[in-house]
Amino acid sequence: MNDGPITEADLQAHVDGRLSPGRAQDVAAWLAAHPQDAARLAAYRAHDDALRQALNPIADEPVPPALDLRLRQPARPGWAVAPALKVAGIAAVALLSGLTGWGLRGWTAPPTVGTAALAREAASSYAVYASDAARPVELAASDRFALDSWFSKRLSRPIRAPDLQQAGLTLIGGRLVATSHGPGGLYLYRDRQGRRIALYVRPMEVDGSDHMKPRLEDGVAGWTWAEKGLGFGVFGTAPGTDLHSTADLVRSQFLQT
Amino acid sequence: MPLSEEMITHVQPLIPALRRYAHAMLRHRDDADDLVQDVLERAIGGWHNRRKGASLRSWLFTILHNLALDRLRRLARRGITAPLDDVSEVHLATPAFQEQGVEARDVLALIALLPADQRSVLLLVAVEDLSYAEAAAVLDVPQGTVMSRLARARERLRRMMEEQAQGRIGKPTLRIVP
Repeated sequence: MNDGPITEADLQAHVDGRLSPGRAQDVAAWLAAHPQDAARLAAYRAHDDALRQALNPIADEPVPPALDLRLRQPARPGWAVAPALKVAGIAAVALLSGLTGWGLRGWTAPPTVGTAALAREAASSYAVYASDAARPVELAASDRFALDSWFSKRLSRPIRAPDLQQAGLTLIGGRLVATSHGPGGLYLYRDRQGRRIALYVRPMEVDGSDHMKPRLEDGVAGWTWAEKGLGFGVFGTAPGTDLHSTADLVRSQFLQT
Repeated sequence: MPLSEEMITHVQPLIPALRRYAHAMLRHRDDADDLVQDVLERAIGGWHNRRKGASLRSWLFTILHNLALDRLRRLARRGITAPLDDVSEVHLATPAFQEQGVEARDVLALIALLPADQRSVLLLVAVEDLSYAEAAAVLDVPQGTVMSRLARARERLRRMMEEQAQGRIGKPTLRIVP
């Protein structure tokens, strides 16, 4: 259907942004000569937007427990097999720790500095706020300017919410979160399936510059890195999403500012 | 029926979208979640028999769409045609989303007035972002029918929005009496 006269199906596909670039040009040229149809298509697009805006909050809600497949997972056979062995294992670790004392402390204690600590903060902020149906953000995307200037002020450097449309992510909004290193900024985005992705950013005293590392904290997966004294974390829970390319996109946009 | 890791990994991320579609079709929160639960049961039961090459999303939406239509038909037979609850006011207006325009709330009330076959195609394409081919598979119609229903749905919705703006349908509006 790529040649010939413009059909109503072409116009619908134009509203949905699904025409090939060549055909899209043809349709755009046709619409320039047909202002009434152009207005009609603009209304369709506005109504589609309104529909998405009205319905997305449902997809942003946490999945109710009755529908959560993860909660139906039967206990793994391994758990029941040998509780005695497990107890023995724990005792052995305790004994070892006792014997080696401080020697093992660095190995067991959670990280308190650097991008490892940032990963923990980002993951726990994600767990608390991304699952919040009623008020995931303090300032919504419509207040983007206020949000950016709030973060910039509290983090004492220019911060701007990256535009991640290219990765299919729409900004929901953001909030300031408390950490033992001072304030951190949390931006929340929504992907096309309605799942949430968090971008966490805060100044770094240690690891002011660190390359990109994959992180997994309590089922929340993502990437962290640091640059010019600012640390970043991109986190989500949806499996199969390509957070690495999202992280690259964030990184390149912050490098430009 | 034990759930495979594979199934959880692939199906769990789609549950929010299934809920969104069920809510939009039924306009009743508990009914919608019941329906999604039925979809999940069927998906668990049929997991090993599904067509491996086909899109998982279309498969789940097909099950959901058919269940939703059954349910709407049953309700219609019982004579319930009015919206069951006001999704727009009670269940959707959360504080974080209050900034959404009047239009977003009106549009929900108005798509409920579209015939179910037009409403479903608009939701699948515009909200769920299914390809035209996926939507055709879910609705079990040719792609040409998807396009014509989509055109009718959008045009009808546009007219209703216009009429509502002029105060002819929908909510009672204040009139200035000279």
